[in-house]
Amino acid sequence: MKGLLNLLFFCIPLATTGRTIVVAPGTSVNNLRQAVILAANGDTIRVKKGTYTSLNTLVDKSLTIIGEGQPMLDARFREEVLTITAGHVKLDGFVVVNTKTGSMRDFAAIRVSNAENVTLSNNILRNNFFGIYLSNCRHIQVLSNQISGSNDIENSGNGIHLWKCKEVLIRGNHITRHRDGIYFEFAKKCLIEDNLSEKNIRYGLHFMFSDDDTYRHNTFRNNGSGVSVMYTRRIAMLNNTFIENWGSTIYGVLLKEITDARIEGNHFIRNTTGIYMENSDRITVTRNDFISNGWAMRVLASCNKNYFTRNNYTGNSFDVTTNGTLKEIYFSDNYWDKYEGYDLDKNGTGDVPYRPISMYAQIIEQNPQSVMLMRSFIVNLIDKVERAIPSITPESVKDEKPRIKPWKRS
Amino acid sequence: MLLCIGLLAACSSGPEPINYGKEACAHCKMTIMDKRFANELVTARGKVYKFDAIECLTAFLKENPALATDAGSSFLIQDYEHPGAFQDARKAWFLHEADLASPMGGNLAAFSKRGSAENAKHDPKANIMDWPTLLKQDR
Repeated sequence: MKGLLNLLFFCIPLATTGRTIVVAPGTSVNNLRQAVILAANGDTIRVKKGTYTSLNTLVDKSLTIIGEGQPMLDARFREEVLTITAGHVKLDGFVVVNTKTGSMRDFAAIRVSNAENVTLSNNILRNNFFGIYLSNCRHIQVLSNQISGSNDIENSGNGIHLWKCKEVLIRGNHITRHRDGIYFEFAKKCLIEDNLSEKNIRYGLHFMFSDDDTYRHNTFRNNGSGVSVMYTRRIAMLNNTFIENWGSTIYGVLLKEITDARIEGNHFIRNTTGIYMENSDRITVTRNDFISNGWAMRVLASCNKNYFTRNNYTGNSFDVTTNGTLKEIYFSDNYWDKYEGYDLDKNGTGDVPYRPISMYAQIIEQNPQSVMLMRSFIVNLIDKVERAIPSITPESVKDEKPRIKPWKRS
Repeated sequence: MLLCIGLLAACSSGPEPINYGKEACAHCKMTIMDKRFANELVTARGKVYKFDAIECLTAFLKENPALATDAGSSFLIQDYEHPGAFQDARKAWFLHEADLASPMGGNLAAFSKRGSAENAKHDPKANIMDWPTLLKQDR
């Protein structure tokens, strides 16, 4: 009994207060590795301004590690910078640079593996192969970091990379010049919000085999492609902006073999293709604005039971195209700027249906070279004739209640 | 005469270099990025398909079995450890190991020599196979 009391006496003060260890150049503790060795669970390490070489420094205790005046941790292209394997770690305010690049291992600036309750905030990552690499983690927060890669096409990893994670929050980060800005593989129940992912080589955000995630209020600008969602179920994509993702095989959103997704309140602006869908079922696309895209949407015939409602389609070269017979695709209450019908009963919806797949779009689908006839008189003529007497465009694809005026968004 | 040369050039068959970061995989539509896993199929007629992963090539061949059995098809892989030059898949060895993290989750890598596949293998349960065995795998 007395032994137990003694134990409590020793443990409680340690756990609650914790000591503070200061790391500064030219002092007895002049690097982070040494500080971690000296520290115990619950301690705080304050690192003063300076440049520190850090070759895969291991953080295997529950520590709060604060950088004061943005100290730099530099791996000098020889190793990873930092690996966290303990839970309840906070890392804040560092500049983390120069991991090794290489083809055999995924060298990362900050790696967290097999840990829970870790926060990575306000760090600046530059010139790393992979930026933040989370594997087998849960309850991780990645907040307000600036992550910039090397922009080397053959040797660049992902900015924020998740593998087998659950319940991770990624908020307020800026990611650029990596392979994928944010990459999810087997990552479930995560929230990605208020990030800016731009000028990444492949995708702004990329899901593989990752279910039940939400991403909202993010901007994906000028990436190889915007967002790619593959082999995934129940993703919610809400209020994001996809802007200027241009090129021959480039999309705002690429959906491949996904089911039960919600795409709501997003802006697709000046992309080659706003949404591309292949083998995707039960997708709801509602309240989105498609503005000045080449193709607003390409929906392949392998897609079923998809709903498109209350969207605005303005200034797109083509509203919808497909490659075969679309079945169970429902359009309703959308605004189409190419609609030429009338509204005699003044109820706000047109009295004749709108067919979003134009004949010319179908011709281009078969014969891409015919794009050179775009906006020519003959193309206008065949589109007008086809709209009056539909013969080639799919009969089933039509909006029975096209809006006369665009939806106003609050 | 010039036209003839132009036509001949257009007909020439053979492997094409992959434009990394720009071209999309013929099977999964993903942009091809990683040399270690990228590969190519050239059909007997000279049509070139490029893939970002070996699992994409095999999935494509499952959908197009005639191309898989055609002796005129060339299957060009890159050695995982020394990517850069195309090698004949029919003479290569394939390692299937959980932590290879290939682009489409198939966890497959190609090696030109069986020995180097053995060296790269960490997990004793991992599988090394030749091209015909790889094609017979169910995935």
